[in-house]
Amino acid sequence: MAAAGPSVFLLMVNGQVESAQFPEYDDLYCKYCFVYGQDWAPTAGLEEGISQITSKSQDVRQALVWNFPIDVTFKSTNPYGWPQIVLSVYGPDVFGNDVVRGYGAVHLPFSPGRHKRTIPMFVPESTSKLQKFTSWFMGRRPEYTDPKVVAQGEGREGENAEAETPKAAQLMPPFSSQ
Amino acid sequence: MNPKEEKVKIITEEVDENDEDAGVGSQKKTSKMARQKRKKPLPAAGPEEMVSENAHLGNQPEPLQEDSDTRPVSMTTRRGPRSLPPIPSASRTGFAEFSMRERMREKLQAARSKAESTLLQEIPTPRPRRLQSPGEKELETEFGTEPGEEAQKTQQEDDSQSRSRVKFRDSVRKIKTKPPVPPGFPSAEEAYNFFTFNFDPEPEESEEKPKAKNRDGTTQEEEEGEEEEPPVQGIHKTDEQLLISATEAEAFLWGLDHTAADFVAVRPADYESAHVRLQMEKELLFVPSRLTVPTYKKLPENVQPRYLEDEGLYIGTRPDVPRTCQNIMENRLLTQEPGRRWFGDDGRIVALPNPIKPFPSRPPVLTQEQDFRAELETLYKKAVKYVHRSQHMIGSGDSPGNFQLDIDISGLIFTHHPCFSREHVLAAKLAQLYDQYLARHQRNKAKFLTDKLQALRNAVQTGLNPEKTHKSLDTTQKTINEYKSEIRQTRKLRDAEQEKDRMLLKTIIKVWKEMKSLREFQRFTNTPLKLVLRKEKVDQKADEEAYEAEIQAEISELLEEHMEEHEQKMEAYRAAYQQWKAWKKAQRAKKKKKKQAVEEHPEEEMGEPYPEEDPVKPVPPEPTDRALMEHQVRERAARSRRRPGEPLLVPELSLAGSVTPNEQCPRVEVLRREDVKRRSIYLKVIFNDKEVSRTDSRPLGADFRVHFGQIFNLQIFNWPESLTLQVYETVGHSGTTLLAEVFLPIPETTIVTGRAPIEEVEFSSNQHVTLDHEGVGSGMPFSFEADGSNQLILMTSGKVSNSVAWAIGENGIPLIPPLSQQNIGFRSVLKRADAISSIGTSGLTDLKKLAKWAAESKLDPNDPNNAPLMQLISVATSGESYVPDFFRLEQLQQEFNFVSDEELSRSKRFRLLCLRSQEVPEFRNYKQIPAYDREIMEKVFQDYEKRLRDRNVIETKDHIDPHRAMVAKYLQQVRESVINRFLIAKHHFLLSDLIVEEEVPNISILGLSLFKLAEQKRPLRPRRKGRKKVTAQNLSDGDIKVLVNIIRAYDIPVRKPTASKFQQPSRSSRTFSEKHAASPPTHSPTHSADYPLGQVLVRPFVEVSFQRTICHTTTAEGPNPSWNEELELPFRAPNGDYSTSSLQSVKDDVFINIFDEVLYDVLEDDRERGSGIHTRIERHWLGCVKIPFSTIYFQAKIDGTFKIDIPPVLLGYSKERSMIIERGFDSVRSLSEGSYITLFITMEPQLVPGESVREKFDSQEDEKLLQATEKFQAECALKFPHRQCLTTVTDISGKTVFITRYLKPLNPPQELLEACPNNPQATAELVARYVSLIPFLPDTVSFAGICDLWSTSDQFLDLLAGDEEEHAVLLCNYFLSLGKKAWLVMGSAIPEGPTAYVLTREQSHYLIWNPCSGHFYGQFDTFCPLKSVGCLIGPDNTDSQDHQVILVTPSFGGTLNYEGYCRRLVKNRSYEVRVPEFKLQCHHLLAV
Repeated sequence: MAAAGPSVFLLMVNGQVESAQFPEYDDLYCKYCFVYGQDWAPTAGLEEGISQITSKSQDVRQALVWNFPIDVTFKSTNPYGWPQIVLSVYGPDVFGNDVVRGYGAVHLPFSPGRHKRTIPMFVPESTSKLQKFTSWFMGRRPEYTDPKVVAQGEGREGENAEAETPKAAQLMPPFSSQ
Repeated sequence: MNPKEEKVKIITEEVDENDEDAGVGSQKKTSKMARQKRKKPLPAAGPEEMVSENAHLGNQPEPLQEDSDTRPVSMTTRRGPRSLPPIPSASRTGFAEFSMRERMREKLQAARSKAESTLLQEIPTPRPRRLQSPGEKELETEFGTEPGEEAQKTQQEDDSQSRSRVKFRDSVRKIKTKPPVPPGFPSAEEAYNFFTFNFDPEPEESEEKPKAKNRDGTTQEEEEGEEEEPPVQGIHKTDEQLLISATEAEAFLWGLDHTAADFVAVRPADYESAHVRLQMEKELLFVPSRLTVPTYKKLPENVQPRYLEDEGLYIGTRPDVPRTCQNIMENRLLTQEPGRRWFGDDGRIVALPNPIKPFPSRPPVLTQEQDFRAELETLYKKAVKYVHRSQHMIGSGDSPGNFQLDIDISGLIFTHHPCFSREHVLAAKLAQLYDQYLARHQRNKAKFLTDKLQALRNAVQTGLNPEKTHKSLDTTQKTINEYKSEIRQTRKLRDAEQEKDRMLLKTIIKVWKEMKSLREFQRFTNTPLKLVLRKEKVDQKADEEAYEAEIQAEISELLEEHMEEHEQKMEAYRAAYQQWKAWKKAQRAKKKKKKQAVEEHPEEEMGEPYPEEDPVKPVPPEPTDRALMEHQVRERAARSRRRPGEPLLVPELSLAGSVTPNEQCPRVEVLRREDVKRRSIYLKVIFNDKEVSRTDSRPLGADFRVHFGQIFNLQIFNWPESLTLQVYETVGHSGTTLLAEVFLPIPETTIVTGRAPIEEVEFSSNQHVTLDHEGVGSGMPFSFEADGSNQLILMTSGKVSNSVAWAIGENGIPLIPPLSQQNIGFRSVLKRADAISSIGTSGLTDLKKLAKWAAESKLDPNDPNNAPLMQLISVATSGESYVPDFFRLEQLQQEFNFVSDEELSRSKRFRLLCLRSQEVPEFRNYKQIPAYDREIMEKVFQDYEKRLRDRNVIETKDHIDPHRAMVAKYLQQVRESVINRFLIAKHHFLLSDLIVEEEVPNISILGLSLFKLAEQKRPLRPRRKGRKKVTAQNLSDGDIKVLVNIIRAYDIPVRKPTASKFQQPSRSSRTFSEKHAASPPTHSPTHSADYPLGQVLVRPFVEVSFQRTICHTTTAEGPNPSWNEELELPFRAPNGDYSTSSLQSVKDDVFINIFDEVLYDVLEDDRERGSGIHTRIERHWLGCVKIPFSTIYFQAKIDGTFKIDIPPVLLGYSKERSMIIERGFDSVRSLSEGSYITLFITMEPQLVPGESVREKFDSQEDEKLLQATEKFQAECALKFPHRQCLTTVTDISGKTVFITRYLKPLNPPQELLEACPNNPQATAELVARYVSLIPFLPDTVSFAGICDLWSTSDQFLDLLAGDEEEHAVLLCNYFLSLGKKAWLVMGSAIPEGPTAYVLTREQSHYLIWNPCSGHFYGQFDTFCPLKSVGCLIGPDNTDSQDHQVILVTPSFGGTLNYEGYCRRLVKNRSYEVRVPEFKLQCHHLLAV
């Protein structure tokens, strides 16, 4: 925490999106971005990033390892709207279309130090069986208009809640914040 | 050490000699090991056995040779694959050498073995056995198989000589031995297998065989032979046995056959048909039906089942019996016992309540199927001090053990004991009676009652004496009556008491007499009991008098009583008699009548009913007989009272009597006394079911009293739940028996030591004891009579005198546990059923606790056992308990308020945060709210506060007139409300807002996409493809550009040809082009051809300005120039906010100005003309087109031809000429006068326009109408999916209004009508112009956010600003009032996009009016900005009612002619009509 001029505090995050467990899929890449409140502003580092495509490891773990670095610094005057990291994972489907494989979000750790987070991932489900089939066939799965939606509560009640199926996926970005 | 051992050594040494290599060392070791292992089994098989075996061997054909033969073979095999050690030797030494050496060694060995065999008398050599020994095998396998294998290979290849020899030997052996390969000897394959395989599957076999071999101590062949032989013998044996048994059986059969043939007759098997059998069974067996028995069968006839439960009576839960079982039982009972005694009133089998407890009394056994080892595992647990369960604990805070209960057990008296003799029984009885007598005497109730009676009589006497009373007669009479009744009561009581007293005295005397007679009879006394009757002399005369007086008084009283009674009876009699008499009379009269009636209708006599019985003639009550009464009284007195003059008897019981000593007693009595002496008694003190202490064992006295006199101080932790004394009796040394248990009450807390009285608690035992002496025993009948009649059964019983009290501490504080420690909440479920164990005895006095317990244990309120309890509880709880009738929400809020409300409201930061979260416009996007209050400037709130203050103040400074100021204010308010409404709506998301999902393709889309497959890849005329839309999120300045493609223009005004007249007014005014007429631009050669002078009419260029950026095209020439140029203008959003809402409110316009570029030659000197050019460029503004940015934003692209706004008067320019020229090629264009420019405007990248707010507003319209409109709209949307079809709109107050409500004829201002009274067309134009002059203000700008608010014409004129629709509505209304047929056209136009126009019907044609500009277009006008029509809205002219309205959705085909399909919505119904007269030929309107 440093105070400069109008008192703000800084949140420095560096870490990495380590790996993921997507038992069914391979050749995935992930995108990360941050969602934060109005009183927050990024001061340094990258707010968004797209990782390389990674293949499953050949060992028993079958992990998709990215080791994709994250380094960003925020400044804020208000803990309200603490940044959340939003991860979205994409990969090719059977027909080679790039489709989304999971969304997930987690708050940045509140305490300094090394943290490891496992984020359960999910994708919105098609509203009907027929749509599921067509979306599969056309390679246009239902997607969020904006991945940042997953970090917000608004509009996700009711109609959207049942549209989500949790996927057994793990992303473990260890963050350290100071 | 036997010789064998020595031999082994010799051989190994020899081997060592042979293999000098170091590698052999290992072999030696292994062999040694092997031999050592082998040693063990060898001694077991003794030499004698060996010998015998060998002797047996001797029988075989070539024992010796074989012996010698086997050894080399075994040697080779050892050298072969199965022996490891030779490998190194084989590899190092030459094989030839090796083989030589081996041969040598073999020979040597053969020689030796011969010698040995002769020496040792065929003691088998260990060597061959070594190979087969299991130890060896194991060793070899341990060493690993692969090297062995390799060795085998190399040897097989290289050592051919030895191999061949081996083979030869093998073959020899094959011939010699019976089996081709001896089982002990592994073949090559076997050897291979041996090394490669794991021998796991048959370990026993492989182990057993070598063992057997070891035991045998012989070679394989011998063993083989041995092994084979026994089974053969066995078979033989069994064969023989079989034979024998077969013969025997045969013999037996034969014998049997003989007898069977003699007696057995052959018959067909008996067969009973199933039917017959069933019939028989039916007779014998009864199978009760499973069907439900109807209730009427189970009940007596004509009795309805009675359900006690319904009547509110308690019925316990019946045991659960399956329905079918119950049915079977009922059927059985019905058939077996015809009487229905098994069935209850409700028609069910009588059953006791279910005896099964709901809770198990035994703790459940944990039957987890665990590993038994886990269960057996001992767990170490640290020794823990026993912690009492909290419900028993008394005061966790207090020092435990401070409570003390003192139990004083003073003694025990048996009221009956098996050892009681008959006399004892009587004595006990006597003592008991005497006790009773003493108690009665002490109370002396009879005396008290007598006194009372006397007093009452006196009172009556005084009452009857009128002189002495001052009371009214009534009251005295009343009191006297009361007295009298009391006297009667008292007398009865006194009589009863006296009788009891007398009876008691009599019994005492009787028992005493019995006892005396018994003592005389048995000639000894057992008890010292002695009854003395003391006589008290009384005064005979006085006594007699008193007696007589008493009797007389009683008689008189009784008489009085009887008189009263008699009087009453008489009265009753009289009344009854009167009644009877009346009845009699009536009867008589009836009879008379009847007689007459009978005479008349004799046949009716029979049917005469006698409904009422004859009342019995009442008997008059007998008067009371005084003599009889006196007799009765005297009799009773004699029975219950002491006779006059009789002395008063006072019994006195004393223990003064002497007991006959043992010597004088008969034997049985002596035995009894000895038995008594042998017995001793002790007591155990049981506290809370745990023995805490016991008294000393005291011998039972001859008087059957035991004195203990012991005090036990119980220091207790736990609340006393039960306190029990157990009486144990010891008979000699035979052991103790539990006689009885005495339950002591827990003392009340007020009882402390010293104050506690000694109490006698009775006990009794149900034990049966028969004794062989005088003792009467217990539980056994006995009799005092000689003939054994009048039997008595007495049970062991007695009294324990004790006292229980709480102790008093040193400082005088009683050591009593506090009552509050008892907590019923901890009670186990088991105890729930029992109130006392659940809440403790003292809990019973606490009604609340009791009620709570009752509620918890769910007592059945109908159970009669619980009835008094329930009543008590209901009484107790109704009055006392207090239930608060309010519910406190967030009762902990106070605790969590870390700052007071005032402080919170004073905080600037909090206020800022609040305002931001409320989305107040000033703070909606406020970023980085400072962290501290002090950093927040006061001016932050200034604007907001000012706005709040000024809300109702109308400022006139900013506006021209107060009206406009008011309008602005009003608009502001409307805007605010709209904003608020939309802010709410903005937070409502639909699924489509969040999730992008492909729609399910329907057939048409699928077909289209299929069709697309067949499409040309590169069509000649490519279609414009939709660009990707960009959501405004990450945009910044400079990202967005407005592209303006200026294609061409038509009918640009040209310079007036008259200009040539002024060719030389001044030199400077000469145009450049004029000067250079010789080189006309090639751009429009046709034109230049037309102009004889080759004069350029106009050189127009277009300048586009947007947001202070100006771009212009190149200059073209002629009135119909073609530029085809794209201009790029950067777009900057206000405040850098590229959000949708911000973009919507951009008010900037794109100005497209058309200029004429004029070049003037300003060269003053003609001489310089050859060397220099000096011209001046002038731009003459010709006209402009203004397109609002919002239009571009919402339309995404604007493509079309626009009419250029040209000022009415353009000096120096005219259009006439062009008119003449153009008329030739397009007659349609001639209709429109003006210039046109074709433009294509779009944005790069394409922005996604915000969606209009979907919100359902409430409405005042009829529900039916709304439904109809919805239906209509849905139908239209189905038919024309892209057409804008409006039925309802939102009015300015945010309500849904039916669209035609806006349309009503309105009178235009009178001045307009009066202007051209004769020319309706001119009037219409004037009106249109009037309307168009009202300022245009798009809704998006005025009301922020995409919404379409329709203000009425009235409101519109008030606000003096409005959208297209307001203009259109007003214009339409004016036209309607002018008597025109007018409709509102909802369509899309250029450049406005979706807009509203007005359509009027003139005599022969239709006119389309643009309400915002006031222009009108003919229906065939090519340049009509209205490009498509969604629907027409107008009042139904065919109908008289104004509000009945037709909504027309014209359908446009690709053809020019309009097809008259209409759909009208009239009031509440929509239906289709064909409107033939409505034929609008607007072929220029394109299909949407």
